[in-house]
Amino acid sequence: MEPILDEQQSLMRETAVRLCKDHGGPKRARALRNAATEMDVPAWMELVRSGWLSAAVSEDAGGMGKGMLDVCLALEESGRQLLMVPFAEVAAVAHILGKIGARAENQLRAIQQGLQILVPALPQEGWGNVGSALPLARSEGGQWFLDGTIKHVPFAQTAQSYFVAAKRSSRKKAGGEIMLCAVLKHLVKLHTVQNVDGSTSSELVMEGSLVEESQVMARGGEAQALLDTLRDLLAITTGAALVGVSSQALDMTLDYIKYRQQFGKALGSFQALQHRVADCFVDIELNRSLVYRVAASYDAGQGHPAMAAAVKARTSRVALSVTRDALQLHGAIGYTDEHDIGLYYKRAIALAALYGNDINQTARFSALTV
Amino acid sequence: MIWDNTTLFSDDNPADAAFRKEVREWVDKNCPENLRDRPSRVTPPEMKPWHRKLYERGWIAPHWPKEAGGMGATLEQQLILFEEISRIGAPTPFPHGLNFFGPILIHAGTPEQKAKHCPGILSGEVTWCQGYSEAGAGSDLASLKTRAVLAGDHFIVNGHKLWTTNGHYADWMFALVRTDAEAKPRHAGISLILIDLKSPGVTVKPIKTIRGDAEFAEEFFDDVRVPRENLIGPLNGGWKLATMLLGGERFATGHPRNAAILLNRARQVARVTGADADPAFRQQLAALEIDLLAFTAYYRHGAALHGLGKVPDSMTPVMKLAAGPLAQAASEFLVQVAGPAGASLADMDIHGEAVNPAEDLFEMRRVTVGGGANEIQRGILAKRTLDLPS
Ligand SMILES: Cc1cc2nc3c(=O)[nH]c(=O)nc-3n(C[C@H](O)[C@H](O)[C@H](O)COP(=O)(O)OP(=O)(O)OC[C@H]3O[C@@H](n4cnc5c(N)ncnc54)[C@H](O)[C@@H]3O)c2cc1C
Repeated sequence: MEPILDEQQSLMRETAVRLCKDHGGPKRARALRNAATEMDVPAWMELVRSGWLSAAVSEDAGGMGKGMLDVCLALEESGRQLLMVPFAEVAAVAHILGKIGARAENQLRAIQQGLQILVPALPQEGWGNVGSALPLARSEGGQWFLDGTIKHVPFAQTAQSYFVAAKRSSRKKAGGEIMLCAVLKHLVKLHTVQNVDGSTSSELVMEGSLVEESQVMARGGEAQALLDTLRDLLAITTGAALVGVSSQALDMTLDYIKYRQQFGKALGSFQALQHRVADCFVDIELNRSLVYRVAASYDAGQGHPAMAAAVKARTSRVALSVTRDALQLHGAIGYTDEHDIGLYYKRAIALAALYGNDINQTARFSALTV
Repeated sequence: MIWDNTTLFSDDNPADAAFRKEVREWVDKNCPENLRDRPSRVTPPEMKPWHRKLYERGWIAPHWPKEAGGMGATLEQQLILFEEISRIGAPTPFPHGLNFFGPILIHAGTPEQKAKHCPGILSGEVTWCQGYSEAGAGSDLASLKTRAVLAGDHFIVNGHKLWTTNGHYADWMFALVRTDAEAKPRHAGISLILIDLKSPGVTVKPIKTIRGDAEFAEEFFDDVRVPRENLIGPLNGGWKLATMLLGGERFATGHPRNAAILLNRARQVARVTGADADPAFRQQLAALEIDLLAFTAYYRHGAALHGLGKVPDSMTPVMKLAAGPLAQAASEFLVQVAGPAGASLADMDIHGEAVNPAEDLFEMRRVTVGGGANEIQRGILAKRTLDLPS
């Protein structure tokens, strides 16, 4: 169902629809994949130019003062058009920087002006992250040096710096354990592999990576709270993109079964297929409402980590099942590299695996709701 | 925030919140003990005192307009009443008069018909049943054959109705009958009439359900005389009345509470059976609660759109397709959580509360059959919303 928006929000949403249509689409995604290009630079510049990275930043912090709901609506379109950009990541980081205030002002401005891409490099939820932990930070002469490994960082090659949460190894201060800081790309080692959909996954190794005091943005309890929120937001924004992926895959499948004839009839007239796509529709509709509602809850200061876990779990589960059904209903053409439906299947796989998959986030939900 | 899956995402404004509190306290004080969290079905005679209390408090018909004796409540207030009544496991009054027939009567009845029937529905004095289904007319309801032939100022009714909930307790039936055997399409020959079940020629036989009790019945009509003034709406105009969705009705049938209650029950039972120490239990519970959360978000989204008059046609089938299977999955889960006791006819004693997982299991089976089976809903969605060909 359509979200309930005011006029300004509707207009903003329309700009996102147009932007993603103009700059994305399967053709573009395929070209980027074939050229092993990690990020779509023109699409990214357009997102920056239209203010999307400031959308969920408070006006006090120089943003547009909209919410995560608006960002999620745009991300749904971005998922629908397979945009290859760190929108889910940077929008969430920008929102967090906006909450920090003065200490993050420069970083935030650089993001808003398109001068830097600051992607989160955090140990992720779930399996496959053994050996991925918060790096340790030691202090020497007013500077910090970070050691540690973080796995599966997306867009790490394109980013200029990483948003890192580090543990301070100082024994003196017990309370202020965590700090949030920006780490420059040229101070870390990257091992990058390509994912099935053309996106990348990098292992980021820090061996005494230098962080100036001015790059430290938050500490202690504040840092922990912001880190927790950032993780929730990443689950939600990625979930929003997954809704777009699922929804577009279903639309393409509907088009296909209306057009493709077998046994003298359109495939779409067979009840077995009608019921299957009806179930896909139901699954997606619920997720859409879930994402809107959870994003709005966070905007209203009523978020709960279990809600974020639910979003990532269910959007991942449904995106995988819907795109798998989509492939099945396309028959052999769906098995070709040439047909676009496969791009959606693969994007679903990649996004579902990021920031905790269905099983991981379901377990997390469980732990949060005992 | 406290994790309470029965009121999640509710949109109470301050006035609504105050109303919720008022209802909660009142329900807790006034609902008869023997009706709360009861594993077995509540019969119409057992329901009557509780119906009466709600009626006297003025809360029996939140969705009816004030002129008709209802509350004229907003959808939000309706949901609050519904949620707060079910929160303590109290039953909601039977829907046949209040929710199914009442809105049709208010919409299409003559002033005389309203004056005659509204008071009894509201007070609960009169028990109503819905006579639509027949042996040959289930999903294909328009094929119904029970005939009503106009003879002067009376209809003469002959035929058979089946699966009528509370038919053996009911005083009156609102029935779909064939008044034009030749009509094409078939549904253009159907009328809605009211049948006094005490009339000569009516035979009612209870039918034992899978639960072991008699929830529904069948009725045989042999030359039953029904006064012409018992016709609701125009002659041969019954189909439209029976199939139209009036107001917020659809929100009563698809409420997420069934699943919420069952999952909370599963949590309680798990503490007794030891399931709660098992990670497999917790994972499965979480998966179901995530589905519940998503459905709740959808439901509240629909309620908000309803307030704006923007509910899409797809909402009714989506709600049915989501709510039914979810409640069923929750009841199946509850049976598993109970262990061997899940197969028992005897109630479990869960900290002094009687729980019967098998009863819940059977009760939930109906929700994907009655009121338009889920396969039919999928077809509606595929054709009307997804625009697929026949
Ligand atoms: C507990 C309970 C209470 C009820 N109370 C009442 C009541 O008070 N008043 C009343 O009038 N009725 C009542 N009913 C009857 C109910 O409305 C019918 O059961 C329902 O309409 C389905 O009809 P049927 O049982 O004849 O099933 P059928 O129509 O025979 O269907 C059997 C199965 O086939 C499927 N099916 C049917 N047609 C198609 C199709 N074209 N394509 C694919 N699948 C199809 C159905 O989905 C179902 O799964 C009640 C039923 C139950 C279970």
